[in-house]
Amino acid sequence: MDLILEGLSLTFTWESLIAIIIGVAAGQILGAIPGLTASMAVALLIPYSFYFSPWVGIPMLMGMFKGSLFGSSTTAILIRTPGTPAASATVLDGYPLAKKGKGAKAIKMALYASVFGDTFSDICLIFFASLLAMVALMFGPAEYTILIAMALASLGMLSSKPPWKGLVAMLLGVIIGTIGLDPITASERLTFGNPELEEGIGLIPMLIGFLSVSEVFRQMESSLSDLSGKAIQFSKKKIDNRVSWTEFKSCIPVMFRSSALGTLIGAMPGLGSTVAAFLAYGEARRTSKHPEEFGKGSLEGIAAPEAANNAVSGANLIPLLAFGIPGDIAAALILSAFMIQGINVGPLAFSENPVPLYAIYGALIIANAVNLVLGHGLVHVSRVAFAIPRRLLLSSVLVIASAGSYALRGSLFDVQMVFVFGILGFAMIRYGFPTVPLLIGFILTPLLEENLRTVLLLASTYDESLLFVFTRPAFNVLAGLIVVILVLVFWRKRRLRRLPSPPSDS
Amino acid sequence: MRILKYMALALMLTPFAATAGNYPDKPITLICPYSAGGGGDTATRMIAKLAGDMMGVKINVENKTGGGATIGIGAVSKSKADGYTLGFVSTSPITIRTHMMKAPYHPLKDLTYVGQFVASSQPLVVLKDSPYKSLADLIAYAKANPGKLRWSTSVQRGGPHVAVEAMFKAEGAKATFIPFKGGSKVLAALLGKTIDAAMMSEGNKSTLDGQTRILAEGTPNKNPVNRKVPTLTEAGYPIAPAIFFGLAGPAGLPADVLAKWDDVLAKVVKTDEFKALANQRKWSLDFAGHKAFTKTVVSDYNAAKIAIAKIGMK
Repeated sequence: MDLILEGLSLTFTWESLIAIIIGVAAGQILGAIPGLTASMAVALLIPYSFYFSPWVGIPMLMGMFKGSLFGSSTTAILIRTPGTPAASATVLDGYPLAKKGKGAKAIKMALYASVFGDTFSDICLIFFASLLAMVALMFGPAEYTILIAMALASLGMLSSKPPWKGLVAMLLGVIIGTIGLDPITASERLTFGNPELEEGIGLIPMLIGFLSVSEVFRQMESSLSDLSGKAIQFSKKKIDNRVSWTEFKSCIPVMFRSSALGTLIGAMPGLGSTVAAFLAYGEARRTSKHPEEFGKGSLEGIAAPEAANNAVSGANLIPLLAFGIPGDIAAALILSAFMIQGINVGPLAFSENPVPLYAIYGALIIANAVNLVLGHGLVHVSRVAFAIPRRLLLSSVLVIASAGSYALRGSLFDVQMVFVFGILGFAMIRYGFPTVPLLIGFILTPLLEENLRTVLLLASTYDESLLFVFTRPAFNVLAGLIVVILVLVFWRKRRLRRLPSPPSDS
Repeated sequence: MRILKYMALALMLTPFAATAGNYPDKPITLICPYSAGGGGDTATRMIAKLAGDMMGVKINVENKTGGGATIGIGAVSKSKADGYTLGFVSTSPITIRTHMMKAPYHPLKDLTYVGQFVASSQPLVVLKDSPYKSLADLIAYAKANPGKLRWSTSVQRGGPHVAVEAMFKAEGAKATFIPFKGGSKVLAALLGKTIDAAMMSEGNKSTLDGQTRILAEGTPNKNPVNRKVPTLTEAGYPIAPAIFFGLAGPAGLPADVLAKWDDVLAKVVKTDEFKALANQRKWSLDFAGHKAFTKTVVSDYNAAKIAIAKIGMK
């Protein structure tokens, strides 16, 4: 108990609080600018954290990551431009709500879900870190493969009216995802001899082009007369600008499930918050009482990805603190900050000197509260910022999209990619192809391939038999779970078919 | 009027006058071919900060990963030879890997070696509860069960990979190499028992002490965590290549750039911050300037060529 108090006393200071406030505010603003990620900012700041006490520098970094995940959803909701890839699933229901004048409601929902997801995963980290880390370590290539394959299957057909169009879109995403160097043998694929393509298509230029530039092109088609209108109409009605208690309550189950999913994915190194957001979105749609509202402005459709992507960021510290394994770039950067400050992580850290860990827990919880308070401020700022005529906003989106993708690594090729994918996205919307399956195929394919090929390699050490996967407990549990879900889906479909179909359906 | 003209001319010339011989006078980019958070990345960022402070310019770190670090180094080799784009280099993609694949650069022709600052250790580890108590145990299992022993290391076809394969080859044993992207995934696979053994560059003392047992050391220097275990060459195996961290630029870097970095790097490795980091990560500080570092690279490159041909690794 003394140790816990000693740890907390390190971060419950004015210096730490101010550091957290600065970190969260900077994170929210950086997150909202496409192409500028919190990871980039933190990477630049880490060497300077030497000059601060660790309990000023580290809380600031953590606040920054938390703030950026929420900040990136404001632009995703208002102008269909996710500030970071993790917010791309938030576009699906956030943007339709903003178009209805309910942008403020959508952002507030995103804020509450973000803070909920953060708090949930931080509590899991504090109380069950070693247990969760043990579970996560049981997930090897075989488990990743089946998990990702399941995600591809269930998300691929998401919201596509003729299913074949969804499938075509997803396969296109799969093909785009295989561009670059082969993950095992490093030979070139689909690069057409262009060295720029060796590293594959960058996720951020692709997302910005595909989601926001395509939307600008689409709006260019509409008649000139409404170009004088405001970019985003915010409804005057109070109910459209806040999240009522009833609405919040109806999203609680979804936030719990998504946070749990995000926490588990965050505890496993290498999957990441974008994958978690899409998985949570698909899962929320599957279990929702109103799946037909998804894609048209469902609050659950915002709550799910936002809770999940924030839960990942907290949970990334689980394998880091328990074993010294950083789950993603954010955790890796925090690890290097720890190392520079001489703080040990790993299994011995708790027995050797747990005080710094308690201090980190304190900082995490404070950062969540600060994120909530500052987030409300950001809602007002963005309402003012985006109250400009549409013709100005549309052209500035093109500028921001180009500049943001250029800033990422100073490559003009990336800017070209933004427009290539802008045109592709526009063409797909024009001819009635859903865009989400393409994104999912693109994001998940490299992960699936890497893990599947590792499984095949592992099979060669088990007498060339794939059956070894059934000796892995986590694989069996996952496989069982998937069978149960499949049975439930088919059972529900059959039951629906037997009942007389409701006339009001769509 | 004439005075005004001269003043205008002088003003126009000022920026040019400032550039000549005054390297560096604008931000420098250091390309790190490994992902953020690993050993190479931490080292690059520390160098960027310390050297940047000493030279009075900002040094930006860019992570260009993939292709077993050849993509990032390829980008360095193709950059302008003005000293404003340099990159982090390490053993594998310079002296080892280039014998087995077509890299987008020739290590002896397309790069200038600026300086070496670290020689790191590469322990061969198993889990604490593993049945293999010694290197002999591991070899015995691999000999009795061809292809069943699963192992990994963070860089495929890198120095440690070659060294361990050469060891199995010398014993007539066969093990299966499972590639993972990066040291943290290798550690996760070891802890999750997906693999049986790993050669790790991870210098985090608590990670290695608490969870693993060191069986051997893959570089010529004694392992700093456990000095009792033999190096691979001490155990009688063909190679234990030195694993270096250094900086390189494109071919034909100007002499003033090289002289500046010789001076700055030598000071950087003597700073308390860099010493503390090296101590934390269990790196042996081993500074070598442009000339000495180039000599190491050339001789390592030629020696590895022979060893790899013998193993028949492709």
